[in-house]
Amino acid sequence: MTCLRIDQIYLYLEKEFSPSENKKIEEHLASCLKCKNALEERRILLQASESLTLWETPPDFIRQVMAQIFPEKVTAKSWFITMAVGFSSIILMFLAFFLLSGQNLAHLLINLSFSLLDLVRNISILFVKLFKLATLLVKIIVQFSRFLIEGFARLTTILSPEIQILLITLTLILSASLLYGMRRKFMTGEKA
Amino acid sequence: MDEDKELIEQTLKGEREAFEMIIRKYQQPLLNYIGRMVGERQLALDFTQEVFIKTYSSLHSYKPQYKFRAWLFKIASNFIIDYWRKKKIDAFSIDQYQGRDYDRPSLQIPDYEPSLVRKLEISQLRERIERALEKIPAYLRELFVWRHINEFSYEEIAEIKGLPVGTIKNRVFQAKELIRHVLEGKE
Repeated sequence: MTCLRIDQIYLYLEKEFSPSENKKIEEHLASCLKCKNALEERRILLQASESLTLWETPPDFIRQVMAQIFPEKVTAKSWFITMAVGFSSIILMFLAFFLLSGQNLAHLLINLSFSLLDLVRNISILFVKLFKLATLLVKIIVQFSRFLIEGFARLTTILSPEIQILLITLTLILSASLLYGMRRKFMTGEKA
Repeated sequence: MDEDKELIEQTLKGEREAFEMIIRKYQQPLLNYIGRMVGERQLALDFTQEVFIKTYSSLHSYKPQYKFRAWLFKIASNFIIDYWRKKKIDAFSIDQYQGRDYDRPSLQIPDYEPSLVRKLEISQLRERIERALEKIPAYLRELFVWRHINEFSYEEIAEIKGLPVGTIKNRVFQAKELIRHVLEGKE
């Protein structure tokens, strides 16, 4: 057998040959120092290449990737739990403060309930006043509508049907042109 | 590999834990491949994460007749190619063979061959190989990493790259000889 080619040396080292081919190569290597040295050189290179330091991922890598793929959705249940925990914490802190500071908790609770009653009373007064205002507004609208209807009824008795038709037509044209003008104005505004 | 297909089926049925197992299995091989290609740890971690996200979103298009590992690394390889194209980082395209003299190393053993590797401690040699890897063209580095760090078979690499096994064997040989030349200070 003639000397080995370099690519054959690598394939031999990587066990890519059949047993019969391996046997031929080994027979040649036993008698050829040049090929033996070349093989040893590449064996060391391959050993080092196959034992290079491996890069490690950080411990929370999987969690990070999973969080990107499946972002956590906030459910109503989790919201309720968060709110309940928050509220309970505030109450506990409040109680702890009074217990540790030795202040009169009953006195504070009485003051607090009075303030709450004041607040409820003021809100009730505000609602009553708002209701009265709304009733007044409705009365004004009803009066104004009655006035308009009566005025229109009187006009129909005074004016002849032809003039009434003419007036209605003129009113319609005026309204249409006003609407058209307004539309153009708004459209120009949009473009700008 | 059948285990991978089972995990994919479970993932497609909505079992998150199955995809978590895929990440657990392939996070290190992917990081080692991407890391050697981009050379920066944080960037490699970000890219590895992106590749898993891309893989998850493409799972419905995975065809079970292909090996999942080959499919996953093809996604990673394309991801790196896209990144380099956008950034115009490397003149040596990973997917285009660009002929050079050192791409065709001599197949014959020279009469005199200086031995550097036998003079070095194994740890020193590993360090030098890492540095030499950065100097060889990306399309050869990729194949070297798959073969000798990720320990893929030549057939698997051929499946990823869509090239004949003979071509892959030849290019991996070129990569190794080029690394030797770099170690000896010839490049």
